[in-house]
Amino acid sequence: MSANDTHPHHPAGRRPRISAGTARYLGAFRTPRGMIGGGLLLVMLLAALLAPVIFPGGVDMQTRENFQPPSLIHPFGTDEYGRDIFVRCIYALRISLSLVLVAVPLAMALGILMGLSGAVSRRLGEVCQRIFDIILGFPSLVLGICIVVAIGAGWLALAITILVFSLPQFGRLARGALLTEQTREYVLAAQVLGVPKRKVMTRHILPNTLDPLLVQASLSMIAGIFAEAALSIVGLGIQPPTPSLGTLLNVGIRYVYAQPMYTAGPIIMLLLLALAFNLIADALNAAVLNAKRT
Amino acid sequence: MADDILLSVRDLSVEFGSAQQPLRVLHDVSFDVARGRILGIVGESGSGKSMTAKSVMGMLPEGGRVTGGDISLAGRSLVGLPERELRRLRGHDLAMVFQDPQAALNPVKTVGWQIEEALTVHGMSARDARARALELLRQVGIPDPESRIDEYPHQFSGGMRQRVVIAIALANSAPLIIADEPTTALDVTIQAQVLRLLVELRARLGVTVIMITHDMGVVAELCDDVIVMYGGRVVERGAVADIFDAPQHPYTRALLRSMPQIGGDRLSRLPAIPGATPDLSHLPPGCAFHPRCALAEEVCRRTVPALSPIPERPQSEAACHVAQREGRLPPEPAERGEVDAAAGRSFGRAPILQLEDLRVDFGSRRRLLRREPPFYAVDGVSLEVFPGETVGLVGESGCGKTTVSRAVVGVNPLSGGRILVDGRDVTAFDDAAAAHVRKTVQYVFQDPYASLNPRLTIRQILSEALEQRGLPAAEREAECQRLMEMVGLDRGYLGRYPRAFSGGQRQRIGIARALAVEPRVLICDEPVSALDVSIQAQVINILADLRDRLGLALLFIAHDLAVVRHLSDRVAVMYLGRIVEEGPAEEIYARPRHPYTAALMSSTPRPRPDPGAMGRKTVLGGDPPDPRNPPSGCRFRTRCPIGPLVHPERRICIETDPALAGDGRHRAACHFSGEAARLAEETKT
Repeated sequence: MSANDTHPHHPAGRRPRISAGTARYLGAFRTPRGMIGGGLLLVMLLAALLAPVIFPGGVDMQTRENFQPPSLIHPFGTDEYGRDIFVRCIYALRISLSLVLVAVPLAMALGILMGLSGAVSRRLGEVCQRIFDIILGFPSLVLGICIVVAIGAGWLALAITILVFSLPQFGRLARGALLTEQTREYVLAAQVLGVPKRKVMTRHILPNTLDPLLVQASLSMIAGIFAEAALSIVGLGIQPPTPSLGTLLNVGIRYVYAQPMYTAGPIIMLLLLALAFNLIADALNAAVLNAKRT
Repeated sequence: MADDILLSVRDLSVEFGSAQQPLRVLHDVSFDVARGRILGIVGESGSGKSMTAKSVMGMLPEGGRVTGGDISLAGRSLVGLPERELRRLRGHDLAMVFQDPQAALNPVKTVGWQIEEALTVHGMSARDARARALELLRQVGIPDPESRIDEYPHQFSGGMRQRVVIAIALANSAPLIIADEPTTALDVTIQAQVLRLLVELRARLGVTVIMITHDMGVVAELCDDVIVMYGGRVVERGAVADIFDAPQHPYTRALLRSMPQIGGDRLSRLPAIPGATPDLSHLPPGCAFHPRCALAEEVCRRTVPALSPIPERPQSEAACHVAQREGRLPPEPAERGEVDAAAGRSFGRAPILQLEDLRVDFGSRRRLLRREPPFYAVDGVSLEVFPGETVGLVGESGCGKTTVSRAVVGVNPLSGGRILVDGRDVTAFDDAAAAHVRKTVQYVFQDPYASLNPRLTIRQILSEALEQRGLPAAEREAECQRLMEMVGLDRGYLGRYPRAFSGGQRQRIGIARALAVEPRVLICDEPVSALDVSIQAQVINILADLRDRLGLALLFIAHDLAVVRHLSDRVAVMYLGRIVEEGPAEEIYARPRHPYTAALMSSTPRPRPDPGAMGRKTVLGGDPPDPRNPPSGCRFRTRCPIGPLVHPERRICIETDPALAGDGRHRAACHFSGEAARLAEETKT
């Protein structure tokens, strides 16, 4: 679009909603909570992404001494083979973050599809809700064990586990939003205008269901990170020697007296991640409520 | 006189927000209430009327504080009293009746318990409280109080619940009762019952009432004195008769003139007040009304006028520079409004919209194990709308008027009858029929806040509709601008989101959206009932203009008889899923043939003070029956003022369902339709 175009042209179909919605979500990151949470996450994300650049030696580079106490060069000390625990923690972030950043958005998309399927056919919607009930009936650990047994331990099994157990939250929220949105007058108005069902869905219903889902996504990220840790600790997730927050804890606990930082390091990372996502969820929630009030 | 003053409010100012950036919602509000009088506080949303009441009760919302002035009740100052003292006063010396009787009663406690609670907290013994509660229920006209005292709020109808709330307010014989829009949530016939009750209680118990309302009609019928509020200030104060006879503030006068009338001449255009009600956080400087005032001068834009007596009419006080200088309020510069241009309009021959024996069933949804019996929200409605004609569909909530209209556009499925749009049977509502309906019939919704998607700009909202019309993308922008101009909005607003608009503007956007597909019939479902009085006239005028310019047929659904009368050529009155009377508008209003129509008209408050009017009104008793289980014979017989309730010998009403019958175009479903007109006559004189 040229700059001197005084009447910008917006065909309704091409770029649905967004600008107002996105602005509101971005506004969340301008609050103190959003800034701290977002900043924290950004730092960790960059560290994880750039780990091979920052620490070119990789996770297995050994120093002379094992079990060194924390120092400036080795902030979390070294482990039983003299490897830097901090470097291993940063590399572990790659696993945690890649898992949740892939699995949770997928779960959200699938959950929305399943949740909104009720609009296409009542029966399909009901079936999806019952599937969610079944998933919720399984403890996540048991679910993880089943999946590992089926496809073998590793990144993929963890991703699927996280995806499956965060699915019901999204599905139920989406369905709840669908049920309230469906009877709104602007949805009826679109119906009366003859707007095709698919467009009513994508233009009117879907954008207005996003608020609670985004908050939930942020919370599901935390749950996913902890699920990885839990499954890896008991040996069902990532397998040593690959460092993940879970495997680090798994080994670290054995040396808790010789090197307390071996356990404390991964826990600090877990807490920082949880803090970041929690702050973001809080900020998003506040922004969404604020927008609703005005 | 001075010791007759029960409540005196002097220069009351209330602020919200931080001390650095206070938001002042009340500015130097002063008024007195004399013992045994009813004071009306009128104003639109944001005028500060509810805030005034809450300040008196000491119940300002979180963050609000009185920053100046005084409130004294029987000589005792209420400002700055500790919470404990205030709590003792509330319920005992001043009581409150809330707007929504549903929300004002606790659903898990019996009504008796709730009345007794009001008594026992002020020190009455449980046994005395029970006896007093029974007496109170009897006083507020609840039949059979001995058995109903132990029932729960959900077992009471809306009107009965409001009576219970009034009983609670009366419990401790508080000398002052503050009623905050007590009838706004109620239907007209129920509103009439509650208003009559208030008048009776005043006569019997001598209570003093502050009545907060937006409805000038209610003020005229009920109140002795009135203060008019605008933008957090009192703009006019005086006796009801004086203010309605010769308002001295331009706002009061414009408000009265802009209301459609149920009696008198039908104007072709309502003299609407331009602009919107001001936002308290952005009050205009000087007189808050000046941007909308035809008389505004330089001084109005700069200085806030004080409330003071008008030299030539010392009995009323108004805050207007012009009136104070001239000695009285000069007449409007431009006098407009020809009488009844609607009379000359002509309509097409073949109906554009035809409903035949329409039935909509809400009940027979299949449950898990059983089938619910059918429940017809609409039970055999036939109606025709001709091109260019406006048909008003009137009735109280739950009568099925919205259901009828939504069935036409395919939102509610039919269980019987036929719908013809422009001669074509669309009952099946398959794809072809749906497309035909959507091109021909469009819908304007009631709630302007819910009917626009908050995430789309106005341009996107209108473009979506234009896309349905099949307009190529390149031409949509120009058409969007044309639509905006058509409804009187600036084309520069196209890029904004709905939240940037006021209720009246949003409703115009809703109208523009409906018109985007160039329909020939517009169904308007209560399009002005959610709007402030001063905005209603604007929207009504736009609808009338567009109808005349585009030759639209209008199916206008409303509960407000005055609005319907103003716009309609023909009127159909619905009761409990059926049309009970139908005919040319002027004839129906002049000579109703169904007692329900007569009662509706008589119940509608008129903005013209008439001391004896309350006594002559035909006030219907009881409530509309449950549509799941309609009465045998005539559905209206359980409330009918000329039916078997009054004339037990009229068995025919119980045994036979009356059909719509009558000469020519004016038909009514009543066995004794000749008597309804007399009923209406009695009320008028």
